Amino acid sequence: MKGNETMLDFRTSKFVLRISRDSYQLLKRHLQEKQNNQIWNIVQEHLYIDIFDGMPRSKQQIDAMVGSLAGEAKREANKAKVFFGLLKEPEIEVPLDDEDEEGENEEGKPKKKKPKKDSLGSKSKKQDPNAPPQNRIPLPELKDSDKLDKIMNMKETTKRVRLGPDCLPSICFYTFLNAYQGLTAVDVTDDSSLIAGGFADSTVRVWSVTPKKLRSVKQASDLSLIDKESDDVLERIMDEKTASELKILYGHSGPVYGASFSPDRNYLLSSSEDGTVRLWSLQTFTCLVGYKGHNYPVWDTQFSPYGYYFVSGGHDRVARLWATDHYQPLRIFAGHLADVNCTRFHPNSNYVATGSADRTVRLWDVLNGNCVRIFTGHKGPIHSLTFSPNGRFLATGATDGRVLLWDIGHGLMVGELKGHTDTVCSLRFSRDGEILASGSMDNTVRLWDAIKAFEDLETDDFTTATGHVNLPENSQELLLGTYMTKSTPVVHLHFTRRNLVLAAGAYSPQ
Amino acid sequence: MESGKMASPKSMPKDAQMMAQILKDMGITEYEPRVINQMLEFTFRYVTTILDDAKVYSSHAKKATVDADDVRLAIQCGADQSFTSPPPRDFLLDIARQRNQTPLPLIKPYSGPRLPPDRYCLTAPNYRLKSLQKKASTSAGRITVPRLSVGSVTSRPSTPTLGTPTPQTMSVSTKVGTPMSLTGQRFTVQMPASQSPAVKASVPATSAVQNVLINPSLIGPPNILIITNMVSPQNAASESSNALKRKHEDDDDDDDDDDGDNL
Repeated sequence: MKGNETMLDFRTSKFVLRISRDSYQLLKRHLQEKQNNQIWNIVQEHLYIDIFDGMPRSKQQIDAMVGSLAGEAKREANKAKVFFGLLKEPEIEVPLDDEDEEGENEEGKPKKKKPKKDSLGSKSKKQDPNAPPQNRIPLPELKDSDKLDKIMNMKETTKRVRLGPDCLPSICFYTFLNAYQGLTAVDVTDDSSLIAGGFADSTVRVWSVTPKKLRSVKQASDLSLIDKESDDVLERIMDEKTASELKILYGHSGPVYGASFSPDRNYLLSSSEDGTVRLWSLQTFTCLVGYKGHNYPVWDTQFSPYGYYFVSGGHDRVARLWATDHYQPLRIFAGHLADVNCTRFHPNSNYVATGSADRTVRLWDVLNGNCVRIFTGHKGPIHSLTFSPNGRFLATGATDGRVLLWDIGHGLMVGELKGHTDTVCSLRFSRDGEILASGSMDNTVRLWDAIKAFEDLETDDFTTATGHVNLPENSQELLLGTYMTKSTPVVHLHFTRRNLVLAAGAYSPQ
Repeated sequence: MESGKMASPKSMPKDAQMMAQILKDMGITEYEPRVINQMLEFTFRYVTTILDDAKVYSSHAKKATVDADDVRLAIQCGADQSFTSPPPRDFLLDIARQRNQTPLPLIKPYSGPRLPPDRYCLTAPNYRLKSLQKKASTSAGRITVPRLSVGSVTSRPSTPTLGTPTPQTMSVSTKVGTPMSLTGQRFTVQMPASQSPAVKASVPATSAVQNVLINPSLIGPPNILIITNMVSPQNAASESSNALKRKHEDDDDDDDDDDGDNL
């Protein structure tokens, strides 16, 4: 018992309770007048009473916020300023393609036959006050291949389907049949061309979703033979003899619990029970680096949306921020009382959200490692997190089957989606944030109306000061559809750039 | 899960009954029947390990029998090694504070794949090739020329005249930084011009490749493999003119396969 860490945490840290001043006075008087000071002593010693002025909360409000192993969050824990805005997209010269260019110039001038600058972000020239400064954290510069990717992204964006309650997305489910190896992690690239699966037999398998096969780079001697000046040099470096639909990556010595592709599709990360995070090259399909730091199972890992950084969280109750070219972590996010189950980057790469088995979600600042938000309310360990594309909201899913929605800027819970009957293990917002898709161990995918969930938020001063929001009981109205699978828990969800849903899971006949 | 399919408590061996009771006491009611077997195996392994260690300790203390103190010591030592738990919270907060104080390092532009220094990567070759010394003596009638190829850098053969290494090959060795003493290798040079066409005919495209193991002590950085290849060039005269014009060389060149891929 002495060495049990959870016990030590409980004994050393104080359980936080939030109570209104009137209620607190009543409680104090009651406990003290009974001449039995035992309970009062215990209260003073082990509880941290966070008093707020104002109306006491209703039972419903209290129920919404409780659940964490350390009580609720203190008010000042959620007061720090968070830059939840998105970083400005860099201006890219879009080469003028006749068939695609139908955008009008802002000034209304006739289309000129010269490369037009991308005008996605140029409408608001001044800085969004909620967005972090561009150089708040160092980010890698854009390479030519990244710019090409962005141009492809923009072209796909124009063909994107606008979703809504009357226009639901189609769901394409990738079932891993005969996965007797035990599927434990899935990731899909942003352009939906590759799927990686992490398995309990410690392998990572990469499949190509498109008809294009996976090829590895030629050997060094063959590489020196090719003509480096030709236009299709990037195809010539690939060895045709190694083309196959599936590549298996061996290296871990324990089940692989997390997988993440890099945004430029050059690397794949995998985290495993053996305590390491491995970086694999997707050009040679070999392992490049093993990052050792957690000495205990690493439950999740994710690349930053701009590449270069990645975050991992594990059984040692911390999340670590790494860069691919440092063999030691750059930041350690310590504070959770139990395993860190889930780690996600904010779209602007300045913040990391971690969901833990102590039933809280914390938001950490990458710049200095501080915890800027603590969200309590789940009644079970948290298994999935996702940020909304506009960066303002966070959705979390836990073993209690509820999906909770949080406003990051104000630090409040703004929605509760009830419906699933088992752990919610995957969440994803659509590309423009209109629909939230949730996948669960109860073999269903549910679609929720995100726009409606986030409209009319009561965010007046009183609410932000005390942190209490009245949650509307509108789960039924927000539920747009429930889609059942045959008996396949939905491990991963992904919206393609055109707003088609890809879901993945392993068939488990039971 | 299928507790009904369990062996009835009366017919289970005593150990299994005890294990079932332990599970019940810990509040676990639903479990597959295999769990009891697994727990029993674990218990057996753990107890035998502890008792083995205790025997070692008691014999070290020159005691006649194993007593409780030995067992206690064995348990303590075993717990430190196998049943470790994550570090305590205050320790984690402390190291986190230290680590988070340093500012984020700036990112160097134009640096290709951003990987840690080579010794922390898994990109070095993990094999060495054995030498085939016998072949060198039997390669009579061939011009043997040492060529140096370093890791992924393939240095193409520029045929030395009369067997002296050309400046090109020498530059490779200096890049490696080793004082390559070629004295240790078989370095036979024979220049029978009449025989070379015959050699050319008999060895059309492939060449006799001989890989020699270089003593690692000669090599500076330990993870760069140097393979020297003995190749028989076809015709010294025509070669020297083509040697530097690599782009025009076609497949019937006497190239060897460099198999030191450091990708």
